[in-house]
Amino acid sequence: MDWEAAGRSETAALLSNVASFWAAYKAHPEAYDEMCDRHGCPRAGHSHMLAEFLATHAQKFDEIRARADRMFLNEGVTFNVYGDSAGAERIFPFDPIPRVIDADTWATLEAGLIQRVKALNAFVGDVYGEGAILKDGVVPTDLIKTSSQFRRAAFGINPPNGVHITVAGIDLVRAADAQFRVLEDNVRTPSGVSYVIKNRLVMTRLVPELIRSIGVRSVEHYPADLLASLCEIAPSGASRPTVALLTPGAYNSAFFEHVFLSQQMGIELVEGCDLVCADHKLYMKTVGGLRQVDVLYRRIDDDFLDPVVFRPDSMLGVPGLTAVLKAGGAALANGIGTGVADDKAVYAYTPAMIRYYLAEEPILPIVDTYLLRDPEMRKMVLRDIDQYVVKPTGASGGYGVVIGPRASDRELAETREHIENYPDNFIAQPVVQISVHPTIVGHRADGCAEVAPRHIDFRPFVLLGERPRVLPGGLTRVALREGSLIVNSSQGGGSKDTWVMAS
Amino acid sequence: MLRRIADHLFWMARYLERAEWRARLADVNYHLLVESPTSDPHPWAPLLAITGDNELFAQYYEAPSETQVLDFFTFELRNPSSILTCINAARDNARNLRHRLSSELWLEINTLYLEAQGWSHAVFDQQGVYGFFNDLRNRFHRLAGISYATLPRDIEFDVMTVGTMLERAENVSRLLDSKYHHLLPRVEDIGGTVDRMQWAAVLRSASALEAYRRVYGNHIIIDGVVEFLLFDAGFPRSCRFCIDQLQEAAARIEHEAGSQPAITAPGSPGAKLAMALRGGSTEGVLRSGLHEFLMEVQDLCADIGSMIFDKYLRFE
Repeated sequence: MDWEAAGRSETAALLSNVASFWAAYKAHPEAYDEMCDRHGCPRAGHSHMLAEFLATHAQKFDEIRARADRMFLNEGVTFNVYGDSAGAERIFPFDPIPRVIDADTWATLEAGLIQRVKALNAFVGDVYGEGAILKDGVVPTDLIKTSSQFRRAAFGINPPNGVHITVAGIDLVRAADAQFRVLEDNVRTPSGVSYVIKNRLVMTRLVPELIRSIGVRSVEHYPADLLASLCEIAPSGASRPTVALLTPGAYNSAFFEHVFLSQQMGIELVEGCDLVCADHKLYMKTVGGLRQVDVLYRRIDDDFLDPVVFRPDSMLGVPGLTAVLKAGGAALANGIGTGVADDKAVYAYTPAMIRYYLAEEPILPIVDTYLLRDPEMRKMVLRDIDQYVVKPTGASGGYGVVIGPRASDRELAETREHIENYPDNFIAQPVVQISVHPTIVGHRADGCAEVAPRHIDFRPFVLLGERPRVLPGGLTRVALREGSLIVNSSQGGGSKDTWVMAS
Repeated sequence: MLRRIADHLFWMARYLERAEWRARLADVNYHLLVESPTSDPHPWAPLLAITGDNELFAQYYEAPSETQVLDFFTFELRNPSSILTCINAARDNARNLRHRLSSELWLEINTLYLEAQGWSHAVFDQQGVYGFFNDLRNRFHRLAGISYATLPRDIEFDVMTVGTMLERAENVSRLLDSKYHHLLPRVEDIGGTVDRMQWAAVLRSASALEAYRRVYGNHIIIDGVVEFLLFDAGFPRSCRFCIDQLQEAAARIEHEAGSQPAITAPGSPGAKLAMALRGGSTEGVLRSGLHEFLMEVQDLCADIGSMIFDKYLRFE
C-alpha cells in the first residue's frame, strides 16, 4: 500500500470536507466576521484550525451543545429571569464554537482596559474627594450632581490603596472596521465572570485535544486574583483579612455566580440578615457568636446596601454599614457610588478623563455619544431619531435601550416624548454594526450542525488592588436570534467561550 | 459557621432523610400486603396513620386506595411531607448553601430534584411500585455515600449529622410502629408464618434484614426486631445508634461554638432519650406497651428539635 498517497488522499478528502462545510456558510453582508472573510471563508491561522476542527466534527457539535446544556442544568449553572414565574431557573444558552483573540490583539486590549479602569477609579475618588476634574471644567459638575448614581454617602470614605472599583467589566464591541470599541463600562456589580470559567470548563471536557493543541490561556486563576485584590483593600491592621460575599439571596438573577465565586474563593456567602454592625465594625452571626468581617464583596446595589442611609425599606442590606466604612472598620468592593463612572452620559467624557488623570492618549476608542441634555445635539438626534440607538443614562442590563432602525413608529414616538421631557436621562449613539461570529443555529438534515453568523459582544474583567489584574479572556455574549443586536441574557442572548491565544 | 447556614444544613439533611424514609415506609407497606393478603378494604390506610396524615389526606382525596395513597405519599405537593415536597425542600436548602457542599453532592441533589420534577403516577406503571421505591432508595444511598466520601468532618458535617440522626430516630420508631397500625395478628398467629414475614418486611425496609440475621439467625420474632431496631449499639438504623450519634455530634458543636452544653446537658430531652435507649430492655418495653414507648421516643425527638432551633439556628 502506498501510505503517502493514502495520506494525501485523506488530506484532500479532509480539505474538501472543510471547504464544503464552509461553502454553506452565508457571510454577513456588512458586519465584521470574527472568523471568516467577506466571502465566508475561514481566515488563516487559529481561525482556520478551528474551522477545520468544526467541519470535521460537525456531526458532533450539535450533540456537544446539547451535552453542555445538560451539564449546566444538572450543575445548576442557571440564572433567574425577573418578571418570569417565581423562581424560574434557566440556563444561559451556550454556543460551543469559541471566539478566538490572538496574542497581539489581546496585549493591546489589556493595556487599554487597565488604562481605562485606572482612570475611572481615579474619577470616582476625585468626585467624592476634591472634585478637581469638576473644578477644572473637564466634566460638568451638574452632570455628576444630577446623576442617578451619585451618592452623597460616599464622601468621607477612604479605601486603602485608593481602590473604589475593585471589579470592572468593560463591554467591548468590534465594529465593521474590526476595531474594538468600548460600548459601556460596568463598575457597580458587574456579573458574568462565572460563565467565563464554567464555559471553559465545559469546553475542556468536550474538546480537550483542541484546546491543548491550539494553546489557549487559562482563566481559572480569576477567583484567586479576585481574592488577592479583595485582601489588598482590607483596612490596615488586618493581617489575614476575613472576606465575605454579600448576596441578595437565592432569587437574585446572578445567585449562581455569587455561590460559585464564594466557593472558589473559600469565603462566606452572606445575606444582609447574617451581618450586624457594632462599635464601628462589621460582624457575621455565627453559631459560635459574632465574627468580624474585614472586606465585604457586595453584589447588591447601593440603594439596598444600608437602610439607614439609602432605601429605608431594604431588607437586603446592613443597617449602619456606611458608618462602619467611614470609620475604616471594614472595606467594601465595589465602593459606594462608583456608578457615577459608568453613567451613560459620563461615558462621553471618559477619553477626557484618561487624558486628565493619566496624561495618556486613550488606547481603546469609545462610540460617538451625544448627550441629549445639550439642545444642539438633541435637535440633531430628534431630527433623525430612527438612525440612532437611544440609551437611558442610569440603567444596565440592556433595559430601556431603543435601537432606532429597528424600532416601531410608536416606540420612536414614545422615545421622542421621553427625551423631550427628561433630556438629562438619555444619550444617543450611532448604530454600531457590531461584529458577528459563526454560531450553531440548528442542525441540517444530515445531522451536521448548521452554522450562521450571529452578533456578539465581549466583556473582559479587570481587577484593581495593589496592582491591576486582567482576566485573559472574558464573556463573549451572542445574540442567538437572527439579526438581533441585543446579547443580554435577560433578552435571549447566549454565550461562547473566549480563547485568548498564548502566542 | 453562620446560623443561617446551620439552619439550611440541618433542614437539608432532615428533608433528605425524611424523603428516604417515606420511600422506605411505602416499601414496607407494599411488602406487608404482598406477604399477607388482607381482607381490609383499604390496605394502604395504615400508611397514613403511621405518618399522622389521615386528616390531610381526607381533605384532598376520597378513599385511601393504593393509587391515591401512593400519589399523596409520593407526588402530592400539598402534602408537606410527600417525597417530592421533601426533595424540593432539601434542594431549596441545598441551593442556599451549595457553596458549602462538595460539587459532587450538589450535583447529585440537583439531578435528583430535576428528575423528580418529571414524576407522575406513570412511574409506578413503568417501574413497578417495588422498582420505583427501590431505585429511589438507591439514590439516597448514593447521596449518603457521596456525603461520606466528599465532606470534611467539621462542624458543618456535625450539624448535618444532628439533622439526619434526629429524623432517622423518629422514623425508625415510626417504622416499628407500622405493624401496630395493621390488623394485630390473632394470638395464635404470633410467631407464625405471616407474623414472621411481616417482621422480615419491616427489617428489610430498614436495610436491616441481613444484619439482623447475623446476630439472631433466621429466628425473626418481635423481641429480636425490637431489640435490634431500638437498642442495638452498632446498627446505623437503630434508634440507640442514631441518638448516640446525635449526642456525639451535638457535643462537638457545643464545644466548637464554645457554648454551655444544652442538648447534651444532663436532664435534657437528648440525654433522657439516650438514657432510655441505652438502659432500656425489650422485655420491659413489650410489657408496658411498644406503641406507647415509641410515641415517647417521637415526643422526645420533637423536643430535641425545638431545642436545637432555639439554641443554634434561630437568629434575631
